[in-house]
Amino acid sequence: MNKLALIIEDDEDLANIFAEALRGIGFEIENALDGKVARERLIHGATPFLILLDMHLPHFSGRELLLNVIKKDPRFNTSWIMITTADARLAEELRDQVDFAMIKPILFGQLRDLAARLKPKDEI
Amino acid sequence: MKNFIERLFTFSTSDPEDTRKRRILGILLAGTAGVALFGVLAFIYFAATVDPAEFYLLLWGSALTFVLVAIVYAVNYFGSGRAAAVLFLVFLYIIFIFSDTADQIVGGRTLFAFTIPIFMASILLTPASSFIFAGISGAVIFYLALSLGVTPNIPGIAGFFLIAFVSWLSARSLEQALSELRSINLNLDRVVAERTEALAESLAREKIEAGRNQAILNSIADGVIVFDKRWNATMANPAIKSMLDIPLQLIINKNFRELVEHPRLGPNSRAILGSMIEHGTQPIGFRVEWGDKTLSVSAAQIYDQRREDTGTVIVFRDFTREAEVERLKSTFVGIVSHELRTPLNAILGYAEMFKEAVYGPVNEKQVNMADRIMKNTQRLLALINDLLDQAQMEAGKLTISNQTIKPAELLETMHSLMDKPAADKNLKLTSEIEDDFPEMLVGDPARLQQILVNLVGNSIKFTHRGFVHVKLLRQDDRWGIEVTDSGQGIPEFEIPHIFETFRQVDRAATREHGGFGLGLSIVKQLVGLMNGEISVTSKLGEGSVFLIRFPLIFPKESSVTWRPHE
Repeated sequence: MNKLALIIEDDEDLANIFAEALRGIGFEIENALDGKVARERLIHGATPFLILLDMHLPHFSGRELLLNVIKKDPRFNTSWIMITTADARLAEELRDQVDFAMIKPILFGQLRDLAARLKPKDEI
Repeated sequence: MKNFIERLFTFSTSDPEDTRKRRILGILLAGTAGVALFGVLAFIYFAATVDPAEFYLLLWGSALTFVLVAIVYAVNYFGSGRAAAVLFLVFLYIIFIFSDTADQIVGGRTLFAFTIPIFMASILLTPASSFIFAGISGAVIFYLALSLGVTPNIPGIAGFFLIAFVSWLSARSLEQALSELRSINLNLDRVVAERTEALAESLAREKIEAGRNQAILNSIADGVIVFDKRWNATMANPAIKSMLDIPLQLIINKNFRELVEHPRLGPNSRAILGSMIEHGTQPIGFRVEWGDKTLSVSAAQIYDQRREDTGTVIVFRDFTREAEVERLKSTFVGIVSHELRTPLNAILGYAEMFKEAVYGPVNEKQVNMADRIMKNTQRLLALINDLLDQAQMEAGKLTISNQTIKPAELLETMHSLMDKPAADKNLKLTSEIEDDFPEMLVGDPARLQQILVNLVGNSIKFTHRGFVHVKLLRQDDRWGIEVTDSGQGIPEFEIPHIFETFRQVDRAATREHGGFGLGLSIVKQLVGLMNGEISVTSKLGEGSVFLIRFPLIFPKESSVTWRPHE
């Protein structure tokens, strides 16, 4: 069974690029284009192997989703959490809360190579 | 009565010495009148007990004395003091001559009485006049002796001159002492008068100065409060009233605590504002929230001429509008940061996907084209990053973090980013770490990386052949990054300007190498924020050496925080 990646990104182009990078290494992709949809998906959907979370989202910010939903639900303890932002200060601030804090621009190959190295957390 | 007696002995003349002598004569006349009064009383007593006919001489003598005293006093008071003195002395001679028998005067009990006019003359007239009166006394004695047919009392007459000499000496000394004393008093009076005048002028000047200061205070738009040593407000200008929206009566003569504890002052501002007023300290760019206003505050201690602290002056400036602009600017930078990077990220991503043949095979020309798209997009991203960094630094929003870093990782990352650009220009990019360099230290990894990449990128940009070498070194309590290149070098006169914003050594360089000339400016500002320093040495045609040095902080000391330069 393929690993599930939830891409929470409001920019369709970036979401597409991230999806192609991850799909190429065998991930199954789910997209959420705004904070509200993402919140519903996180609460009611299956637990992803990897969550790619943009910080700048409509309705609910990525920071709110991270601190109020993801960090409070133990189901996500086994998920790899990767935040993406153009704000280096915000990335620095949240670095301890996540597995990866990536500052945009995020290269196609960079994401693909990084995700390819991820193993299930419970096996580490 | 007291006033009447005082008036009797008060003589107003322009010469203080004359006044003094008239006053002494007045006292002597009073004494003489007292003696005469005693004579009248004695007559009344004897007339009642014995035959009064034997004491008429006493009565007439006393009455004559009264008359003469009155005449002398009148001359002394209304006329010449000197003439009165001469009259008085003559009067004494007459009394002495007729008060006893001639033989007693010449060599008996009354001889001594003739010394009295001698020393009185030295006091009432001039010191030397005692000799004249010694002569007169001697002449009287001599004449009486001759009229009696006896030998004149030569030792007695000689004694007159001796007494005259002693009187002359003592009266002269007294007059000199008094003259000096008067001179001292005169000087003292003059000094007091001068000081009084100076004080009056100074007070007038101070008054004018205070008026001028108050006029200046009243005319400026900034709110000013002056606190004394006990932190009570002694002065405030009208601007503060509208700025804080409270009446001046609630500020003047009130302790600073009433201001600091005012409900409109933001709770986060209380402690710092209190400290500013108490110590006159001056945090850079300190602002307080006062109701819906933002006020910038500055403080300064007031010293007097002896450099003693006499209080604190606090100046408030309405910063509400500027604060709003700053907030908007910060928001703008955030939005631009996101909105510019996101589409560029998409361009970069699609170009990379194209190059990686994600959607099917591509030929060599297409790969080459994708490469060019990526390279130019990255160049554009670098420019945007520089501009955003510059904007953040100008807004004071760029912060420095303290983390444990591995210097070797800095070089590894630098190589991963810069090896390819160096190789593209056939340059040798090498690095080394000095032997005694610590394995771990405290710093901001992202910003240090940015500095390193900017410096190396700059060297690669301006080096056409040869090498770029990076060295991490330690110098006592500092550590450094040294970047050496074999590039074109920098003319000496341009070196002071290379860290200026939007500066490249020549305009042709801008066209050839691209960039806004922000790289080195950002490096310098970042180094400054980390309490470091940067220097450059260069030789035209041979290359340049950039050296940056930072305070060395080991991880065990990580509680020590780096703060931006104030």
